[in-house]
Amino acid sequence: MMMNRCAHEKELAEALARGNWPAACAPELRAHVDACRNCADLALVTEAFQRARAETVSAARIGPAGALWWRAQLRRRNAAVERIGKPVQAALVFALAVNLLVLVGLLATQARQGLAWLTCIEGLPRMSSLHLERVLPATLFTSGWSLLVLIPALAALALLSGVAIYLASESK
Amino acid sequence: MFYESILPDSLAGDAPEVAEPLMENDAFAGFYERSARSLWAYLARVSGDAALADDLMQESYLRFLCLRQPVALFAEGEVAARRYLFRIATNLLRDHWRRPRPASIEEIPEEFFAADAGTAQSDSQEILGPALARMRPRERQLLWLAYAEGYTHREIAAVTGLASVSIRLLLFRARRKIAGLIREQAAKPRRKS
Repeated sequence: MMMNRCAHEKELAEALARGNWPAACAPELRAHVDACRNCADLALVTEAFQRARAETVSAARIGPAGALWWRAQLRRRNAAVERIGKPVQAALVFALAVNLLVLVGLLATQARQGLAWLTCIEGLPRMSSLHLERVLPATLFTSGWSLLVLIPALAALALLSGVAIYLASESK
Repeated sequence: MFYESILPDSLAGDAPEVAEPLMENDAFAGFYERSARSLWAYLARVSGDAALADDLMQESYLRFLCLRQPVALFAEGEVAARRYLFRIATNLLRDHWRRPRPASIEEIPEEFFAADAGTAQSDSQEILGPALARMRPRERQLLWLAYAEGYTHREIAAVTGLASVSIRLLLFRARRKIAGLIREQAAKPRRKS
């Protein structure tokens, strides 16, 4: 399709935009529009769309602006809360990851040491009376990883992991 | 009233970009009054669905108000704000067309059938409506923006995201096509009578 721009197109477009077409236009322009296909198309389409716009605009039922404004406020607030919550979530994930790493490290170290302290559990049924010094194994105070450190550490890890998982699920 | 009064101070204080004031309610109400009807007309005529136009118009204003710099945009002038609003609406329409169409007849809105029910329709609906329905969505957008809203090629390019140089050719083709369809449509009642 060839696109030939007519010299009168601009003049006609201005007349259409100002609402001067066809009554307030020069007879020469009207005669030209009758003969020129581009200009005839422009006049026909512009008039049809302007009529359609006037009708549709008058038929439009628009809601109250205040309701929209408040909905926008709420949306912005939710977005703000979400933005603020992101670093907290990241910290929770980081804490959980560190806890897991420490736990794995501790377990690996204990496994390497042969879990010697566990032998005291086997001796428990043979004991006539439960004294603390008998329950605690002899290796307790000699090994590199003390049971007194290990048990509270594991308990703290379990607690922290639980809290982290709870908070993460709560935020979801 | 600002949203800071709704938000806890600690939250508002931690997010500087959120603490920026929204467009004032009164200023927005004035802008809305002046722009909502033409935006609705654009959405309704281009989509051919009044209910969809309602939804998309609300979403357009919500997104406009939730912009990071709505006040700055509004300071550029109402024309710029209005153009940006049309751009949001155009993107929403495009997203809507990209989504899968309803497969079941129950999902099609009743208005769709009501439009063809032969009720009293205006001339423009009778002639332009069917002609627009036979145009492609992009062509409907271009034609409406150019001939109903009176936007320049540069403004249409800003709204639609198309290259400014291609608007002229696309618009020329679309105009020629719809002019033929309008003439055809206008000739139909005469043939019937």
